[in-house]
This record gives sequence, structure tokens and C-alpha cells, in this order.
Amino acid sequence: MTSLAKVERLMPREASPMDDLVTVTVQTPSGAFAFPCENGEALLHAGLRAGVSLPYECATGTCGSCRGRLMTGDVDIGWEDSPALAKLKREKGDILLCQTKAKSDCLVRIAAKIEQVSREDAPGKLKGIIFDSRKLTHDVIEFSVKLSRPMTFEAGQFALISTPSVTGARAYSMVNYDTKTDRIVFLVKRKSGGGFCDWLFSAMVDGAEIDVYGPLGRATFDTSEDKDLIIIAGGSGIAGMMAILERATRSNYFKSHMGHVFFGVPTLQDGFYLDELAKYVDKAQGGLNVTLALSNEPPPQASHPNYDGIQLASGFVHTAMASSMTGRYQNALGYLAGPPPMVDAALRVLISEGQLSPQAIRYDKFG
Amino acid sequence: MTWKKVCDVGDVGANSVKIFDVEGVNVLVTNYGGGFRVIPPICPHMEEPLAESGIVANCVLTCSKHLWAWDMRTLEKLGETEKPLKTYETREQDGALFVNMVEELVYEFESEDEFDDDFFSQS
Repeated sequence: MTSLAKVERLMPREASPMDDLVTVTVQTPSGAFAFPCENGEALLHAGLRAGVSLPYECATGTCGSCRGRLMTGDVDIGWEDSPALAKLKREKGDILLCQTKAKSDCLVRIAAKIEQVSREDAPGKLKGIIFDSRKLTHDVIEFSVKLSRPMTFEAGQFALISTPSVTGARAYSMVNYDTKTDRIVFLVKRKSGGGFCDWLFSAMVDGAEIDVYGPLGRATFDTSEDKDLIIIAGGSGIAGMMAILERATRSNYFKSHMGHVFFGVPTLQDGFYLDELAKYVDKAQGGLNVTLALSNEPPPQASHPNYDGIQLASGFVHTAMASSMTGRYQNALGYLAGPPPMVDAALRVLISEGQLSPQAIRYDKFG
Repeated sequence: MTWKKVCDVGDVGANSVKIFDVEGVNVLVTNYGGGFRVIPPICPHMEEPLAESGIVANCVLTCSKHLWAWDMRTLEKLGETEKPLKTYETREQDGALFVNMVEELVYEFESEDEFDDDFFSQS
């Protein structure tokens, strides 16, 4: 067991009123760690903010990766209907760190190895104001957020955003890529019954204040990868891929590596970011192929009527990828984002036909 | 020894998985090309049903849910995989696949041993 001295040494202090702070201690196979947590703050958020590398994938109550067991302390377990909570042993004190809020000092056990990382790289809580919201298609909206302080993130990461108007936080990938930026851009596809979407689509949201927590996620791209990129996105899943393409383009990555983008939408009318994608194709001078796969209508011709550089394919995006990539999977990294059935189908192609190893496949495991 | 027939070897094609009921116990037969492994039908990570989430390619079984993977020749854990697969002892005879099933193999999810003091005293 780790000594109390180590715990105290690891405990960062913040300049908040002490009454509002409780201390969360986590016991793990790699020792004990303690961090301050604001009253009502999710344990996951407080821990990551303090540089304690707690396990998580979705951070929104779906995947169950942040499971812990409450040993002592008073908490609010948060979202009662969370899909992941239903799988846990509630009677033994199992909780989701991403949903559970501390109401007193807590002791939690976590069966994963964790470590203390630099707080500089840790995600943080920010305030933001929505601006420049615009519809890209009939069911896709893009909006920018002006942040209260700059954020640095990696291409492919996401952030949680929440508003007092709607219960719960939503995870959205950053579309833009910049370091130390106070402007981040998100993409949202309208889903029926999606509270946050309805709020975004129904109201004049420009000027609305939101809470932002991030950056999060490990499905990232760095220019040191030295591999070809296979990017498969369905609908708004293209969001994080745009950041990856921006990062790669800026560093001339496609001068020395190939990129293959497969972007699935129902019809030609549903395509968006085509200006941007066509520009990336131009700049790559042969190093980047972009294919728009249309699932609900046959393409009128081989390339997009308005963009020579964007090829068209019929059928689901994983099918378009499979028929195009045969024999070209060597030394490739696969990035996937989109509806879960699309991600699953594309994964099967990458693993079975492409023989990509799990380490060469990146996606946010929200399921 | 309690050898029980699972299926005919031709019932599970190369690079595929299939679930079978062996006297009331569900098992998953994986044909990894170089042979068969018979395992419990769920992923030891988060109880995903491997009949749906399991992908076999290149002698590797991968669960598509969170990409835990095992080399089926050696049962080596690959990548970020943290738990081993449990396997039934297997025998092929007269075109059929048999397992030595004394009792059902189960994974201890969220069990006491994962959270007991011995576990946490290791660093």
C-alpha cells in the first residue's frame, strides 16, 4: 500500500474556497493517488484535471471503462439511466467516475494501473460562448466556441460540452486544429430526441454560454506516425478527421505518406466540408484521395460534379473502402468515426481484409 | 476426463467463430486457420458476446468492441489486452471437435479478487 506521505505529496492545491473542495483518494494496482474535487464535480473530471490518468473512453456514461468501487464517502451517482451503470454491481458500490459527483471526501478503488502526469497536459474546465453557428446541410450544424482561456489539444480529440438548458454533457470532436487556441469548432448532426441537438437547432444559440471540459480522447494523430492513413467517417464522424487532415496537411505529411479518406453520407446533397476536403486534396498533390460514399443513391458520375478531386462511390462507406483499398493496407493506420454499425463494419474490414493490428486502429470507443 | 462433442470440424469455417450449446453450456468455437480454440462465449473485458464482436484474422481473435486481442496459437495477449482467455482442452477425432469439460469456464467480473487487498498491495 502506498504511504500517506506519497498521497499528500501528490495532492495539488487549488485557489478555490476550501469549503467547496473535497478530497478524492483512489486506490489502484499502481498505488494510491489523491486529488481535490469540487463539490458536485464528476470524479473523473477532477482526477484528470489534477493529472491523475484515470481510465475512461466515452466520458459520457455509455462505455463503462471508468468503473470504480466506492469504499467510503458520500456521492451522487448521477445519471440513473446511464447504459453503463446498468452493467455494474451497484450493491457492491460500483460507480462510473464520469457520472458520479463527490459530496464528501471519498475513497474509491479502481482496477486499472494509473499514473500521475503533468497537469499542464491535463484536460480542464473552461467556459465558452457559442458563435458562428451555421447549418451545413439540413441536419448538420457547425458552431464555434470562444473559450475563456486557450486550450491545446491533439488532432482527433474531443471535448464535453454542457449547457444549463439541457441535462448532461455531450462529447463532440474538435473540427479545427490549433495549439493554444481560444476558438474551437464542433459539428453536430441532428438526431430525433437528442436534447442537445434540439436545443442547438431550435434556438438562436449564438451568444449562449456553455461549459466545456477537455480535451479528451486517445484516437489522435501526430506527424511522427510515419504510416499511411486510412480515414473512414460516417456523417458527423468526419469532425475529428478534419482536424487530423488539417494537422497532416500543415506538416506536409501527405508529401511522404498516402492518405485515403472515405466519407459516408446518404446522398450527394448530404455532403459537406467538400470545399475543405478538395483543398486538402489539391495541397497533397497526389498524396491524398477523398471518396464520398453515397448509401442511398447511385452517384451521377465518377467524381463530384463540383469538385474534381473528390471521387464518388455507391454503397456504405466500409464497402467503398474495402473495394478501394484491396492490396494497399501495408503500413497503414486506420481512423474511424461514425454511427456504431458503421464503425463495427469498417473495423471488420480493417482487421480481416487489411490485417491491421489493434494498435494500428484508432477510434473513440463510445459503445 | 469428461470429453464432450461440440460440433463437426466442418461446422466452423476458417477465420470464423460460432457458438454451440454443449449440454447446456454455451461455448464459442474459434477456427483460426491453424486449429481450433474453444472458449467461453464472452469477452473477458466487458462481457461482450464474442459470437458477434469476435473477429478472427491472421491467427488473432479480436473483440471489435474495445480491440482486446489474443494470438490464438499461443494465447498471448496483444496490444492493450489485460486479461487472458480461458480455454477448454480440445481434441479432434473422427471429424468432430471435443472438449474436456469438467465445469463451465467463467470469468470473474468485478469479483472480490479484483478488489481485494492483495491485488492493491501489488505495485
